[in-house]
Amino acid sequence: MSDTAVSSRQSAVSRPVSEALLNEKWDRCLSNLIVKSSLGLGFGVVFSVLLFKRRAWPAFVGVGFGAGRAYEECNWSLRQAAKDLKKQS
Amino acid sequence: MLRTSIRSARALGRRPAAAVAGRQWQVAGTAARGRHFADKKLDPSSKPTVLPSSETNTAERSDIPKPAEPQPTIASEDVPRTPPKPDTTSGVSPAVAEKPTTKTITPPPPPPPAAGRPKTGFFRRLRNFVFTLTILGALGFGGGVWYSRINDNFHDFFTEYVPYGEQAVLYLEEMDFRKRFHRLSDSMHRPRDTGAKVTIPAQSGASWRVADSGEQAGRHASAIDKAKASASKESKAKADDVSVPAAAAAAAPTAEKVAQPAKETPAAAPSASPAGAAPTETSSDKVAVVVPPAKKSTTKTEEAFKAPEVNEPSRRPPIPPIDPLAVNDAMEPVVQDLVRMLNDIIAVVNADKAHERYGSTIDKAKDELSKVGAKVKDVKAEVEKKAGEQVKKHVRAFDQAAEDLVTRLEAAMAAQEAGWRDQFSDTMRQVHELYEERFALLREREQLIGKQRLRNELLQQAVALKREFLGEVRERVERERDGRLGKLEDLEKAVADLEKLTAGWNEVVETSQRTQQLHVAVEAVRASLEKADHPRPFVRELVALKEIAAEDPLVDTAIATINPSAYQRGLPTTAQLVDRFRVVAGEVRKASLLPEDAGVASHASSYVLSKVLFKKHGLAVGNDVESVLTRTQTYLEEGDLDAAAREMNGLQGWAKTLSRDWLGEVRKVLEVQQALDVISTEARLQSLRVE
Repeated sequence: MSDTAVSSRQSAVSRPVSEALLNEKWDRCLSNLIVKSSLGLGFGVVFSVLLFKRRAWPAFVGVGFGAGRAYEECNWSLRQAAKDLKKQS
Repeated sequence: MLRTSIRSARALGRRPAAAVAGRQWQVAGTAARGRHFADKKLDPSSKPTVLPSSETNTAERSDIPKPAEPQPTIASEDVPRTPPKPDTTSGVSPAVAEKPTTKTITPPPPPPPAAGRPKTGFFRRLRNFVFTLTILGALGFGGGVWYSRINDNFHDFFTEYVPYGEQAVLYLEEMDFRKRFHRLSDSMHRPRDTGAKVTIPAQSGASWRVADSGEQAGRHASAIDKAKASASKESKAKADDVSVPAAAAAAAPTAEKVAQPAKETPAAAPSASPAGAAPTETSSDKVAVVVPPAKKSTTKTEEAFKAPEVNEPSRRPPIPPIDPLAVNDAMEPVVQDLVRMLNDIIAVVNADKAHERYGSTIDKAKDELSKVGAKVKDVKAEVEKKAGEQVKKHVRAFDQAAEDLVTRLEAAMAAQEAGWRDQFSDTMRQVHELYEERFALLREREQLIGKQRLRNELLQQAVALKREFLGEVRERVERERDGRLGKLEDLEKAVADLEKLTAGWNEVVETSQRTQQLHVAVEAVRASLEKADHPRPFVRELVALKEIAAEDPLVDTAIATINPSAYQRGLPTTAQLVDRFRVVAGEVRKASLLPEDAGVASHASSYVLSKVLFKKHGLAVGNDVESVLTRTQTYLEEGDLDAAAREMNGLQGWAKTLSRDWLGEVRKVLEVQQALDVISTEARLQSLRVE
């Protein structure tokens, strides 16, 4: 994984190599997942502190929202890529 | 409620004003009453709801007709039928009961006049009825006429179905038209109004005839008919005016005829005469001549005197016997004049009816006249004799003179002839001499010219001979020269052929050199490609190849097929390709199990499951991604780039996109190899061609 990631990064500078297309998409998705879920967690924690008397569930809910959002975006991007492929062929 | 009030108001407001119409309405109103009752029927149901106060008001309003009420009340009493229906209402309340009465009263107001009139009598009603009918009819007719002038459709209807409608409308239109166009209508309408047929008499118009002063201008078939017609006319006139007996009728018309020509027109005389028309000039003579026979007849008998004298002018036969008087000496104009004079005198005498008195003297005169004619003849004969003698004398004298003249003329002619002959002979001699002289001169000259001509011909012959000789000499010289020159040209040709040969050999050498160079260049390119450890641009080698090919079209096209990026960046080696294929194969394998429209879940599952798949070896059979990958790997290991590329090209979907770059690289390499092969074969072909 790390090797491929490095190679993709090198190629991404100039032009994404065809075999690295999928890997790149996966990287994006993962980073997106991390960012969004952390953001959700943050919001959840803040809400739990401010409104919900430091209960745990708002934080989990926030994480869930973020992760779901990331998953959906990833799904959408993959499908879009598939559609583009169909159009090209 | 309201309806009744309105109706009553109408009935009282308008109809009374136009009393006649009101009455009419009422007369027809026995039936109309029924209507009122019906209205009332409706009213009672509504009445109870109405307040008494408002009721009184309405009653007052409707009271306007009431002034006439006193009578109606009686009428209403007369007509007690109303109560039965109000019975239902009467039970409700007295106050309400009062209203119905007022209500009932309101309709009655019309009835009262009707009730008052009928009493007066049936005839009066009838008269009124007729009167109103006529007025209505007149109004309707007038309205119809008026409206028919506005509406065309109505106009048609009105004029067709309403009696006298058309006349009325037409009259009105005429009036209007006259009012508008006063003058025009005057001029226009006269002919239209009269309507009488314009008859053109058959004998009117211009005719071919010259107008006769006395007679009708009409045509007629013949003069005789006309004469008869006129005769009959006049006979009728006679019968009316004078009432002459029927026996005299035959004589009367003729008398009339004679009277007419004598008094009025000379033209009438010819027309009347059966002989036909005669020129007017002669007519006067005839008239003059006509008279004498009458004279004759008078001299013969007194009894026939009057009638025949009148009769004769119409008969022609008597005319010829008159002339004999003048026939004897008709040729003499003098005698003719005399006869005419005498005739005139006789005519005068006749006219005066003094035949008895002058008869003898006139007879004498006639005798004298005939004698005068004889005397004139005698005188003429004597004169003729004298003249004949004189003529004979003159003829003799003329004959003698003519003979003398002839003899004299003949002598003169002979003398002249002799003179002319002498002259002619002299002139002939002179001409002959002249001619001879000229002839001699011409002959001498001709001889001279002939000699000179001969000399000239000789000279020309000499010149021609000289020329021929010169030409022969020249020809011979030329022939000699040509022979030597021909040999020289042959030599030159031989030299040129040799040169060509050497040149051709040179070309051959050059081409062989070029092909060799081409070979070398191709080899250099191939070597540079094969020897390289890493991709390296081979633009220089290609340029050299192109220059050596010297615009060989085939080489040019072969080079053009190579992707420019291939020689600018260089080509990957086979080792590199294989290395890269391993990476690509791993990636492709990961995506080998993806369905269409794959989401995150399917991607993840294919990623996981691809690791569990069994790996194949060698030339696997099947179209799935795994077997394709193994086949390409084996081809690559064998070094068959072309087959490997074909295999990878068969992939679909994500697998194809993932292997796209690698395929592009392989293709570039294959293209370059193909181009180099083509160029090398071309070079070989050229070398073969040279030999």
